[in-house]
Amino acid sequence: MPSELFLGDAAARLRASVVAIVDGGHGAGFAWGGGGGDLFVTSAHVVSSRQAVVVTPDGRAVKGTVVGRDVDRDVALIHAPEARVPAVTCGDPYALRPGALVFAVGHPLGVKDAVSVGVFQAVRAIPLGFGMAEQRPRRGRSPFIPWVQADVRLAPGNSGGPIADVEGNVIGVVAMIVSGLALAVPAPDLERLLSNS
Amino acid sequence: MADSRSSIAALSDQLADAVAAASASVVAVHARPRLPSTGVHWRDGVVVTTDGTVRQEEDITVSLPDGKRIPATFAGRDRGTDLAVVRIPPGSLRVAELGDPAVLRPGNLVLALARLDEGGARAAFGAVSATGGKWRAWKGGEIDRWLQSDVTIYPGFGGGPLVDSSGQIHGINSGALSRPLATTIPVGTVNRVVAELLERGYVPRGWIGAAMQPVRDDEGGGLLLVSIEKDTPAAKAGLFLGDVIAAIDGKTLESFDQLLDVLSGDSVGKKVRLDVVRAGKRREIEVVIGERPRGRGRR
Repeated sequence: MPSELFLGDAAARLRASVVAIVDGGHGAGFAWGGGGGDLFVTSAHVVSSRQAVVVTPDGRAVKGTVVGRDVDRDVALIHAPEARVPAVTCGDPYALRPGALVFAVGHPLGVKDAVSVGVFQAVRAIPLGFGMAEQRPRRGRSPFIPWVQADVRLAPGNSGGPIADVEGNVIGVVAMIVSGLALAVPAPDLERLLSNS
Repeated sequence: MADSRSSIAALSDQLADAVAAASASVVAVHARPRLPSTGVHWRDGVVVTTDGTVRQEEDITVSLPDGKRIPATFAGRDRGTDLAVVRIPPGSLRVAELGDPAVLRPGNLVLALARLDEGGARAAFGAVSATGGKWRAWKGGEIDRWLQSDVTIYPGFGGGPLVDSSGQIHGINSGALSRPLATTIPVGTVNRVVAELLERGYVPRGWIGAAMQPVRDDEGGGLLLVSIEKDTPAAKAGLFLGDVIAAIDGKTLESFDQLLDVLSGDSVGKKVRLDVVRAGKRREIEVVIGERPRGRGRR
């Protein structure tokens, strides 16, 4: 099957923006915003210190500094001036219908830039009865945090990577897997989360 | 390039359309604490879900696609096929558009649908993995077709429909019948069980009241009776511990499944002729198949 078919184009475009974040463990991240390809979004749990190594799609390992972090929402922002990676375009998960195709790019179990395909389910709080849902919310925080929920099989190494619609527009940042369900921070929330942090 | 993008976008749209169409007859069934299960409005006023997810037979409610929550009454359950039925007022929502599971082939794209809350339907996506003929579930139910897919049955997805890419419903997904693949109870089996449950509240199963195990010697095999309960069809027919049933109605008996086949369907009340080996001698014994007492083997 030629690569133009199915997700070939959108996947190739998104993979060009996905990096590996090395900080003890491995995670994924992606170039974000209009800052000239030097800002990267990832998960807060992927970066434990102020410094992290960003591995670009062409294999260069460059230095990055964590400039923003929201542990509660599990997102972080890394500044890596030497990276020069094209930024992703963002999409709107709230506009998707359940059953619409989505895909994630990350490094599950160390497989570089792997594409995982599935379908969108909802942008909502985690359903009651799923692993995390009964956890007591922190004081002063709403227990009803919206997550992009998708039926995509992910693994450790996908954390911090993007999940996108069929056009390759990023709808969320992969954060965790609960009862097999992929949960991502909604892309429209990123601006607010990262500017506050 | 433009073509390829539109073809993948078109597939994505088609899947979302299939979810939208089928989910108009998909409800959430609140019959256990916390997480509801999914149900399908199979006939007007009749919602089907899985037996394993119905923990209470009273105070059941159903969430409709428009978010309304209405009371439902328990109508019956069948542990053997993992199906349960509740009734709701007729006209509450659209009735499911049923397909023919026989047309599904391995590789066909399918979706599993669920409704877990007021936030719209949910979908999981995959392909048909395997199809085949009649089989017997480990809980004892006869299922007309083997229909497995690689769709993930997330918590709450049990009782929901397996939907093809046009939105037709091919059966009810059960997370309990076989793991790790999703097993779908096909339309034909659901129709049959729903009819029984609406009529009686349960599915009657044949029973003779004896436990046995397969044995084999030089002259062939059979089922060795290892326990017989009092006042059961086996006891009344004069079967003894240690008897070996070698044939039923003239057909050699080699496996337990053969006996289960004889006891299935509308076997209750029928007379069968057993060839029994007792102390080395063959004799014929007639047994009238009884109805298995209900509640037996339940959780």
